[in-house]
Amino acid sequence: MPVTKVLTEGIGEANLRDIDVYRQRGGYVQWERAVRELTPAQVMEAADKSGLRGRGGAGFPTGRKWGFLPNNGKPRYLVCNCDEAEPGTFKDHMLLEQTPHLVLEGILLGAYGIGCTHAYIYIRGEFKEGYEIFTKALADARAAGMFGKKLFGTDYSLEVTAHRGAGAYICGEETGLLNSLEGKRGEPRLKPPFPAIAGLYGMPTVVNNVETLAYLVPVLKNGAEWFSSVGTERSKGYKIVSVSGHVQKPGNYEMPLGTTVREIIEIAGGLLPGRKFAAVQPGGQSSACIFEEHLDYPYDYESMAKAGSMLGSGAFTVFDDSTDFVKAAFNSVRFYAHESCGQCTPCREGGHWLERVLHRFVEGRGLASDLEMIERVGTTITGLNLCALGDSIEPFLISVFRRFKPQFEARIQREEAVGV
Amino acid sequence: MHSQNPPMGVGDDVKLASQNAASGAQPHQQMDGAQAHEGETFAKLYAQLRPQCEALIAQYEEKRSALLPMMHLFQEHEGYVSHDAMRAAAEMLDLSPAVVESTVSFYTLFFRKPVGKYVLQVCRGLMCELRGAEEIHKYFREKLGVGHLETTDDGLFSYEEVECLAACDRATCMQVNLEFVYDLTPQMIDEMIDLMRAGTYKTKPMAQTAKPGRTWKVDQDLQVSRGGKAPGTLNSTRPNNAGGVGDSSGVIMLDRFVTNIGFSPARTHERTVRDARGVYELAEEGSNNNAGH
Ligand SMILES: Cc1cc2nc3c(=O)[nH]c(=O)nc-3n(C[C@H](O)[C@H](O)[C@H](O)COP(=O)(O)O)c2cc1C
Ligand code: SF4
Ligand code: FES
Repeated sequence: MPVTKVLTEGIGEANLRDIDVYRQRGGYVQWERAVRELTPAQVMEAADKSGLRGRGGAGFPTGRKWGFLPNNGKPRYLVCNCDEAEPGTFKDHMLLEQTPHLVLEGILLGAYGIGCTHAYIYIRGEFKEGYEIFTKALADARAAGMFGKKLFGTDYSLEVTAHRGAGAYICGEETGLLNSLEGKRGEPRLKPPFPAIAGLYGMPTVVNNVETLAYLVPVLKNGAEWFSSVGTERSKGYKIVSVSGHVQKPGNYEMPLGTTVREIIEIAGGLLPGRKFAAVQPGGQSSACIFEEHLDYPYDYESMAKAGSMLGSGAFTVFDDSTDFVKAAFNSVRFYAHESCGQCTPCREGGHWLERVLHRFVEGRGLASDLEMIERVGTTITGLNLCALGDSIEPFLISVFRRFKPQFEARIQREEAVGV
Repeated sequence: MHSQNPPMGVGDDVKLASQNAASGAQPHQQMDGAQAHEGETFAKLYAQLRPQCEALIAQYEEKRSALLPMMHLFQEHEGYVSHDAMRAAAEMLDLSPAVVESTVSFYTLFFRKPVGKYVLQVCRGLMCELRGAEEIHKYFREKLGVGHLETTDDGLFSYEEVECLAACDRATCMQVNLEFVYDLTPQMIDEMIDLMRAGTYKTKPMAQTAKPGRTWKVDQDLQVSRGGKAPGTLNSTRPNNAGGVGDSSGVIMLDRFVTNIGFSPARTHERTVRDARGVYELAEEGSNNNAGH
């Protein structure tokens, strides 16, 4: 079985919240080495060469993202995205609570790599316990001289601030996050300008996911080649996959990218007894489902795209033959309707409207004319919005609607709506 | 240091709060249960929290960034974000109170009206639903006699079904005053509620500085979140709104109709609709489905 422990090493065995335990196990060694011996450019080069891609959803190459920062002498910011709220994703939650110093070390390395002197971590409002754990880790690390003024006798100073959100999925979107961090409504911004040019407080900013930054630690420790030698051609390294739904042992499993879909289901203990496989949603609620014919696809960015879906944040939800896909589609659409920030008409109205239509189906009062309409509308919201939330409403709905149409047809009560 | 030469002295705080008390007739403060608490109590709280607020402001390059943390702080002490608290934040951050309220209203974890001592937020995400969340919701609703976004009459429990809590491997999960509880079973719920009623549950109760009303949501949020915007209903005495347009009471259709026959445009939307309902003898008042979906 290809389960590998890199970031998850020690979780469940040692109390990694304790800075002494973390340091005994080699923690903060890479950080101290980076500040003492490496230039920021070398850290950036390691990130780039490793082939590490963003683990927050879009999969953008991390080194390249950092490379977009302009050299204009303005202060730069690193913001770590720990707003994890994509349904099905629960890896950052685990990392934050179980190994907060690793999360912090990743942030420190990222900050050094881009040459920033004040880094922020945006923690989802619901993670109150995680926030408290991380705040304690910050205090311990500061007391141990891991960040602050004139680090390790050099001229480099770095401040880290933990910021807690207050409940809004859209604050995970990077520009919504920046607005929220600035004390505003978490509404995404019009792009361009991208955060690399004008982000936090209008300054060049990099937003990276918790897992992305945390991988910098083993990358520096073992070398970029160690990371890029696993995985597939364009999807390098390891990934924490959050497996949920109809499997025997849901949980976070770390593995090389390119493990097959079938293997992942087996790693999570396989299907529940007596059930048959129906579908997998491989990249969080925003992704389309993949089906039996895709079971032997490698789980990497390219193959998931080829299967008509995406790898996203690595949330892997398994559906078996007991699933009511009408209800599932309703649940998914309701989520987006609830979380839409309301700036774009297709997302705001389309989401609510689809929700209402699907609710009718759930109650067994569907109209035959709705079928054709879902098909039509289900592909018109995408592409007309400020951010990717609007584009995420349809993929799951349409993929299961096409595949499990009889389930929808069975909920039809009459042909058409009767006028007033 | 702040107490010697703050941007606004402690004396001002009292004035600020008493101004609020004097203008306590503001309609939004009279809405169910959100009674304005005593101005002096707030002034005391404000004076007490002020140093912490200033420390929060100092963490950021721009002070407005401290708004969310400050609101968390006030909510921790008041049990909800009162208008006094929003005004205080506006003063400290040089913002208008309207801007603060608009921002606060964006975030679901800020309660703009009082809530119960235990806020029970149960996950309704898809991954939990796949593993039996609906049964758990039903159990809670029946046990407590409340629906989504409602508070029990004794002011002890506020119940909400929330989106994915990022713990889908431990379905069904929930938060009690933002502390996680995993792998829920009916038996666990029974035990938890008993302990809460006895006041011995492990999680600290929310502060409660005012009596909660039936819901902590502000009116305009409710239509959507409590299922008011359900699809057009078939087999009902109400007009059927085709294709999902309009809400479950047919409001949009009626609205259009009423506009066409020339009711006075000076009337408010709600009033027009109520009149229209009268015309059609649709005594559906208050029949919005409280259970939500
Ligand atoms: C609606 C929406 C929600 C998002 N939520 C998250 C999130 O919770 N965590 C996250 O890391 N990225 C999230 N993202 C992606 C971020 O916008 C951004 O791409 C990511 O943080 C970049 O980090 P990475 O390059 O390390 O992946 C979200 C994007 C959208 C459109
Ligand atoms: S797509 Fe939706 S969530 Fe994103 S900015 Fe537009 S309205 Fe807001
Ligand atoms: S769906 Fe309930 S925690 Fe994710």
